[in-house]
Amino acid sequence: MMKRKLKIYLPFVNAGIQEVATYRVNWIFFMLGNAIACFVSYFIWAAVYSSGGEESMNGFTMPQMVVYIVLMFLTSTIIASDGAYVVGEEIRDGTIATRLIKPVSYNATFLFQELGNKLPTEIAIAVPMIIVVEIARTVMSGEVQFNALNLLLYILSCVAAYLINFYFNICFGFLAFVIKYLWGANMMKNCIIGFLSGTVIPLSFLPDALERVFLFLPFASLNYTPVMIYMGKYSGAELCYYLGLQVFWVLFFFGLSKGLWKASVKRLTVQGG
Amino acid sequence: MIYVDKLRKEFKKTIKDPGLKGSIKSLFKPKSEKVVAVSDISFEVPEGEILGFIGPNGAGKSTVIKMLTGILTPTSGTCTINGKNPTENRKSYVKEIGVVFGQRTQLWWDLPLRETYGVLKEIYEVPEDSYKKRMAFLNEVLELDSFITSPVRTLSLGQRMRADIAASLLHSPKVLFLDEPTIGLDVVVKDNIRKAIEYINRQEKTTVILTTHDLADIELLANRIVMIDKGSNVFDGTIGELKTKYGQIRELCFETDSPNAAQALGYEKHFGFGEDELSLEAEGKTVKVRFNSSVVPVSDMLSYTLDKINVSDISVKDADIEEIIRRLYKQGVE
Amino acid sequence: MKKIKRMFKIHRIFMAQEFKRMMEYKGDFIVGIIGFLLIQLSNLLFLWIIFSQIPNLMGWSMNEVIFIYGFSLIPKGIDHFFFDNLWAIGHFIVRKGDFDKYLTRPVNTLFHVLVEKIQIDAFGEMLTGIALVCVTAPSLGASLSVFRILIMLAIIPFITLIYTGIKTITASIAFWTKRSGSIIYVFYMFNDFAKYPATIYNRFVQNIITYIIPFALTSYYPALFILKGENPLFNLGMPVLASFVLMGAGIIVWHKGTRAYESAGS
Repeated sequence: MMKRKLKIYLPFVNAGIQEVATYRVNWIFFMLGNAIACFVSYFIWAAVYSSGGEESMNGFTMPQMVVYIVLMFLTSTIIASDGAYVVGEEIRDGTIATRLIKPVSYNATFLFQELGNKLPTEIAIAVPMIIVVEIARTVMSGEVQFNALNLLLYILSCVAAYLINFYFNICFGFLAFVIKYLWGANMMKNCIIGFLSGTVIPLSFLPDALERVFLFLPFASLNYTPVMIYMGKYSGAELCYYLGLQVFWVLFFFGLSKGLWKASVKRLTVQGG
Repeated sequence: MIYVDKLRKEFKKTIKDPGLKGSIKSLFKPKSEKVVAVSDISFEVPEGEILGFIGPNGAGKSTVIKMLTGILTPTSGTCTINGKNPTENRKSYVKEIGVVFGQRTQLWWDLPLRETYGVLKEIYEVPEDSYKKRMAFLNEVLELDSFITSPVRTLSLGQRMRADIAASLLHSPKVLFLDEPTIGLDVVVKDNIRKAIEYINRQEKTTVILTTHDLADIELLANRIVMIDKGSNVFDGTIGELKTKYGQIRELCFETDSPNAAQALGYEKHFGFGEDELSLEAEGKTVKVRFNSSVVPVSDMLSYTLDKINVSDISVKDADIEEIIRRLYKQGVE
Repeated sequence: MKKIKRMFKIHRIFMAQEFKRMMEYKGDFIVGIIGFLLIQLSNLLFLWIIFSQIPNLMGWSMNEVIFIYGFSLIPKGIDHFFFDNLWAIGHFIVRKGDFDKYLTRPVNTLFHVLVEKIQIDAFGEMLTGIALVCVTAPSLGASLSVFRILIMLAIIPFITLIYTGIKTITASIAFWTKRSGSIIYVFYMFNDFAKYPATIYNRFVQNIITYIIPFALTSYYPALFILKGENPLFNLGMPVLASFVLMGAGIIVWHKGTRAYESAGS
């Protein structure tokens, strides 16, 4: 049953792979752009650490901060999802109505198409980046820091983070029923997520009360949790708690996206498309 | 008025092998080949003429139009319109032409239609009083009144096309380029648009260059036809000339009770028709025979048919232009 | 002269159309402005958190850093506000063949493209920039004379042209490659380097952002003169020179590009 179900979606994975191959040059440039942001981050943190005079700030040494920046970049790339944009466009131009007549799940087609889109590129950048991070970490600290279990947990956590991001973005895309052009709202979303997910600054740098609230919100489950797990900052009960929280948010947004889809089907049929 | 001399356009096209492997290969080692879209086309259009510019898909029609309107720079050759070269004196040249691409719009999508004309007035520097007169005229010819205050995105395709034609005529151009002006429109709207084009051509002696896939446009509007195929000129002349040159096809139509009349007649054997010179269609009692009347005179066909079988309601027709052009597209021209 | 008058008139008319369009989608534009404001806020929050941990950033006080940051937002916001249509050239106008329209109109194509749209979202940037400069300037003390403030205002148009020039060049690439949105994006991200004092970067990066992709000329160097009165010849001369070079190069590449433009469809 499961196998048959997956088979329906295989063409979507394939289409996704083809698509990204066609736009490979563009993708490389976008990655380059994002990498530049990492370099800026690196320099500003280097300046901060050299001005602060302390070796460790809020639990991060400078070498750890470098690892953090690189891992944040990697994780953001891995869990990135275009759902909001795609759903928004389909609502805007009305093609969402044609999805009603297809015998496959709306969300699932996106999911598989995007996976096809992402898998080859993810492997292509994740493997070398992890190797570089490990070599750099070893050289900077003078001892091997690689932990296979943490890597495994990181991958698991990334899968959960991707699913949260995917379903969250689908939900967000439904805003297009209310707002005509999602561009502004999308930017707002990216900006808020950038801050709340620790991409801009590690959450441990925030005031305690704020940090605690942010850690519970779904956005910390996106980037922060996987990166902290990889860096070995969580263990034992804490680790279980954050992984459990991720699962909770996956289920939450999965349910919400289903609900919104049902509501919009109703709306579409009432309006007649 | 319009002189086109050995106009040529080549594009570079990157070749990609199929599949994922091909995509990756082309990323590192892009291969490209030269594609000749238009090769050395020449023709002339006198003032006030409506020229039908036709050819099968991919023949290079749009490329020619885009070179004539200054959008594409020719690889070689020249075109001179009103004594001007479209790419060299672009700004002063385009003031004298109007362009409508049926598949695109130049109207401001989110704003009421009226606003578009206000902006175009400034862009083309149309003085206030002639603008008012012009709008009144265009209103009358294209009946814009009922939707001129609606946002463009809410217009129907037919309304949008009328609005686009009006926009292209606002500055009273001497030459009007229409690329597929009736595409996707229903019969009534098509008819309205054709009438408007004809009216403007007669009233203002506007030279019109028209590309279309709808041959009724050509039959009803064009004084002359230039046909191109695979980037080259294949025919240049009036519709009458087209018919006499390629149109020796007649259609013999009759009804008969004889079973298997078609086989019984055996035209090919009797007259020795070549492969493209005869086609036969039978549907119930009705039989349609298309044949080349320069091979066998109509009278011979008629008497032979009447001799062989019992027929009722017999008629002979000139082939219509659509039939001729269909044959031309299919076989290519010698 | 008549030509310039006509250009202003066309500009005014396009602006009027844009404002009418915005009225149609008020909500969207407000959301856009807030979006850009939020981005600036998040950057400020970052600076504020950092400065709560350290006394100064390599000798720069928080107010100085915020002044440089705020100053960099003003010309960037102006370029973004007026000339954002170049993004669309790189992303889809050329690829879809919609550039045809500009070529059939009796107006300079670059001018037409530049003035056709405005990007109201950029208000978020401009407002933040102006606010930050105004808030931090008084505390930066007596050194800020009226003369220097006038210089600051005078140099903003030139700096804006640095942005517009770079965007024109990168957008023009689309005429040959069909799309150049991702290349514009790389340069846009490069602009991140302009947010902070250039001394925090190493020599190599400093040279790149001064002489090759000169975003340091858009904020750091002019700010050096405005704040400290240092080396006006270089700190002001270079941005002005760069604005002429880049905008000039942009115009040349653009016009070469329109000749190579291949339109779309058959």
